Amino acid sequence: MTDPPRLAIWLLTRRLSPEWRDFIVGDLEEEFATRSGDSPLAARAWLWWQTMRCLAAPPPVYPKPLPLGSSQGDSRMRTLFADLRYAFRVMSRTPSFAVAVVSVLALGIGANTTIFSIVNAVLLRPLPFEETERLVRIFTRTPGGRPFELSPGKFYDWQRDAQSFEGMATYRGLREFALTGTGTARTVSVTPVSAGFFEIVRARPALGRVFREEEDTPGGKYVVVLSDRFWRAEFGGNPEVIGHTVELNDEAYTIVGVMPGSASVASWSAMASDVWVPLALSDEQRAARGNHYLHGVARLNRDVELAQAQAEMDAISARLAREFPKSDDRWGAVVIPMHEEVVADSRTMLLMLLGAVGLVLLIACANVGNLLFTRALSRRREIAIRSALGAGRGRVFQQLLTEALLLAGAGGALGLLLAYGTLTSASTLLAGQVPRAEEISIDGRVLLFAVGVSILTGMLAGTLPAVRAGRADLNDALKEGGCSDGAIGVGTRRLLIVCEVALSLVLLMGAGVMIQSLLALRHGDTGFDPNNVLTMDVRLVDTRYPTPAQRSSFFDAALQRIRALPGVEAAGTIDDLPLVDDGSSQTLDLEGYPPQRDPVAVQVRQITPGYVRAMGIPVLRGRDIVENDAEVLLVSADAAKLYWGADDPIGRRATLPFSKTVLRRVVGIVGDVKQRNLIEATTPTVYFYTREPYGSATFVIRTAVPPATRAQPAVAAIRAIDPEQPVGDIRTMVQVVDGGLTSQRLSALLLGVFAGVALLLAAVGIYSVLSYIVRGRRHEIGIRTALGARPADVLRLVIVEGMSPALVGIAAGTIAALASATVMEGLVFGVSASDPLTLAAVAATLAVVALMASLVPAYRALRLDPVKVLRAE
Amino acid sequence: MWFKGRTPVLGDFEQLVLLAVLRLELQESAYGAALRQEIHTRSGRDVSINAVYTTLDRLETKGLLRSWVGDPTPQRGGRRRKFYALRPAGVAALRQAYRAFTAMADGL
Repeated sequence: MTDPPRLAIWLLTRRLSPEWRDFIVGDLEEEFATRSGDSPLAARAWLWWQTMRCLAAPPPVYPKPLPLGSSQGDSRMRTLFADLRYAFRVMSRTPSFAVAVVSVLALGIGANTTIFSIVNAVLLRPLPFEETERLVRIFTRTPGGRPFELSPGKFYDWQRDAQSFEGMATYRGLREFALTGTGTARTVSVTPVSAGFFEIVRARPALGRVFREEEDTPGGKYVVVLSDRFWRAEFGGNPEVIGHTVELNDEAYTIVGVMPGSASVASWSAMASDVWVPLALSDEQRAARGNHYLHGVARLNRDVELAQAQAEMDAISARLAREFPKSDDRWGAVVIPMHEEVVADSRTMLLMLLGAVGLVLLIACANVGNLLFTRALSRRREIAIRSALGAGRGRVFQQLLTEALLLAGAGGALGLLLAYGTLTSASTLLAGQVPRAEEISIDGRVLLFAVGVSILTGMLAGTLPAVRAGRADLNDALKEGGCSDGAIGVGTRRLLIVCEVALSLVLLMGAGVMIQSLLALRHGDTGFDPNNVLTMDVRLVDTRYPTPAQRSSFFDAALQRIRALPGVEAAGTIDDLPLVDDGSSQTLDLEGYPPQRDPVAVQVRQITPGYVRAMGIPVLRGRDIVENDAEVLLVSADAAKLYWGADDPIGRRATLPFSKTVLRRVVGIVGDVKQRNLIEATTPTVYFYTREPYGSATFVIRTAVPPATRAQPAVAAIRAIDPEQPVGDIRTMVQVVDGGLTSQRLSALLLGVFAGVALLLAAVGIYSVLSYIVRGRRHEIGIRTALGARPADVLRLVIVEGMSPALVGIAAGTIAALASATVMEGLVFGVSASDPLTLAAVAATLAVVALMASLVPAYRALRLDPVKVLRAE
Repeated sequence: MWFKGRTPVLGDFEQLVLLAVLRLELQESAYGAALRQEIHTRSGRDVSINAVYTTLDRLETKGLLRSWVGDPTPQRGGRRRKFYALRPAGVAALRQAYRAFTAMADGL
């Protein structure tokens, strides 16, 4: 075996880099060894030939990057890390810029996350029961088409006949019982439920059991299921509580079960109560068809659609209407999914707020985009050098986008904290404003939303500047002086202003009509005077005041004591206070008139003397009721017209079918009042006064002094009669009125805040863009001034520059606001969502703000010294 | 770039080198000399060893190949071998090239 030619090997080892030397020379020697076996000469020739080729073009040597991690590392990841590192360095060089951008983004992302967590809890998350999509609420449908409570007769017929449901149960609205035997007067909220209720809802007891069939009867009703909350508060969470008794309204109830904490749902009154007792209707009560006071809940069979169930209920109702023409004619049934019923009217409002807060984020994006753009341009030289060194446009784009995403990420993290802080501090404020408020929290879905919004924001704000900066002309940028201080991308910036102004206008318009609607509702005529009125609920314990006479004398005595208090002008009671409770609704039977063909139901309220005066309801004709009256009526003006037409009702008599059917004489006509809510019109009402009052009433007290100061004395007056008598819901009538407006107030407040932020952001946007433009044109302005331009000319130059895109934005925003008015129309009352006056006011506000924002840059342009500017050339 | 993830397009010679690696890597003998001979015997192209290494290095930088260094052997004058093997991306690139070729040639 011959050795390879030494000279060739020497040459190769000299020429090749150490990186390759071993492998290549080794390979050549190896092959030479094989070849020399055949023909040593040919092998030598071959080796020389290969050597020549290697010497001519040896494998290139690149500087190898430092090993990243264990493997060679993914080059894409390496680039990303390098970009991130670089972005960090750039940010830390100008912290003020980073702080400005991050805080604007944090504000936008934080507001969006907050609203989204509310939407998430209210609209997206299912109720905490098994297969809630099969849970439905069941209502009767009044001849007027409105969902209404059930009468026992209808419910039990439905329960017997309907096949679409796995089960159907009924319950009464939340009632207050006095927790007696403990020495203190405390009320407990109680929901009476029919047998099978818990099974249908799928609320399983944590301890003990739920009610049995035989307990849902008057004989077996003294059993109770406790809520987790009540169990912990009253029994300290004692697991041995089953079989003990608790005294409600002076009667002992045996505890048979305790519900888990997860079963309590504040947004559904049936599951919000402290304890549950059996409904326990007697057979006679079960057959009653006229009185509607029950609520229905049911669970659909697994294979039954909502529409099928509704169709079946319609068929059953039609049959019942033929069977019971007097009570059921023209009444129907409505099946509504549970979730929809709980969420009710807040859906539109929440989605509108989510849309509004999205607009705020868009404006924030426009602002940040503008800032990033300015910044990218001020780094033109750096970018140009990178390009000159071989960075492609894609590479530059990527670097700038990474920076934007880094900023958005920081903004998102801060925004999430902001949302968490807002929700924590506002949780008590939110309770009662939206349903399911207690469930609002930041869960996985909210986190995902925040991350998504941050990335989207980064992309949105970063893309335009990155694209524009990547397009910059190398030659221009590298040239010394040149137009490096000229204004670039002015068109893009003007577009940003147009967008900001237009979006702000939409938001301002929304806030404007919302606030007007709130004011219209708040100060609209309710028919009564809510100022200086105190209200409080009193529910007598049946067992202590079993006879009507006892109840009547209690209320008389209490009213007498309260009227005697200093500062009290008038006092009376009513069974269901306006704007709070849905009261009784009945049709009248008039004496001496033929029965009406389609009698319209009117609101019926039980009052005592003093109520009309205490509420400030005007007596239009006749007189108010007095102590000596018995079984008399007051009718509102509309009710009088509805039933007696042109005749004078005073002195005529009528009966109320559901309230002790005696003939009652009309003594006076009073003004109409908004009984049900502030949004609907006043409702025709009939008031009656009887010596046989119900056990529960709301005291209404008109005072000459601030009403809240009379609360203590009034409660003391009641306690003086019965020290164990609970008094609840002590509120002024103004608070009651405001309570009916919480969701409107919340949306007006939030829209107002959003619009304010939008206005501020738009002003800042106009200011910064205009400042930039003025800086870019200072050379030109200097020359103009040197050539004799007057200050007014310069001022006009700058202001026109700022105002023209703002005006275009106002025009575009007007169109957008009018288009979005359809969404708002269902949410505002007493004002049109496209109200031209509001629109004009909003447009004017924006124009003024734009002008103000233009003034500072204009002033700066005025102060330019032409000599200095031109010398700087 | 980190936001792109496309399979790179292979040159003609790159395909030959990758196929040679594929053929030899199972016998643990995908190193320069063996690859060069494999290409020579199968395709008839007598390529230089430096061209083979240049291409191998490029393919490794693209993430299509990985490499490791073996022990010194006496028949190479005590020098070490550098072995190569395909990464999944290399297999994908080859598959794509093969598909493109057969698709274009189909029916001709």
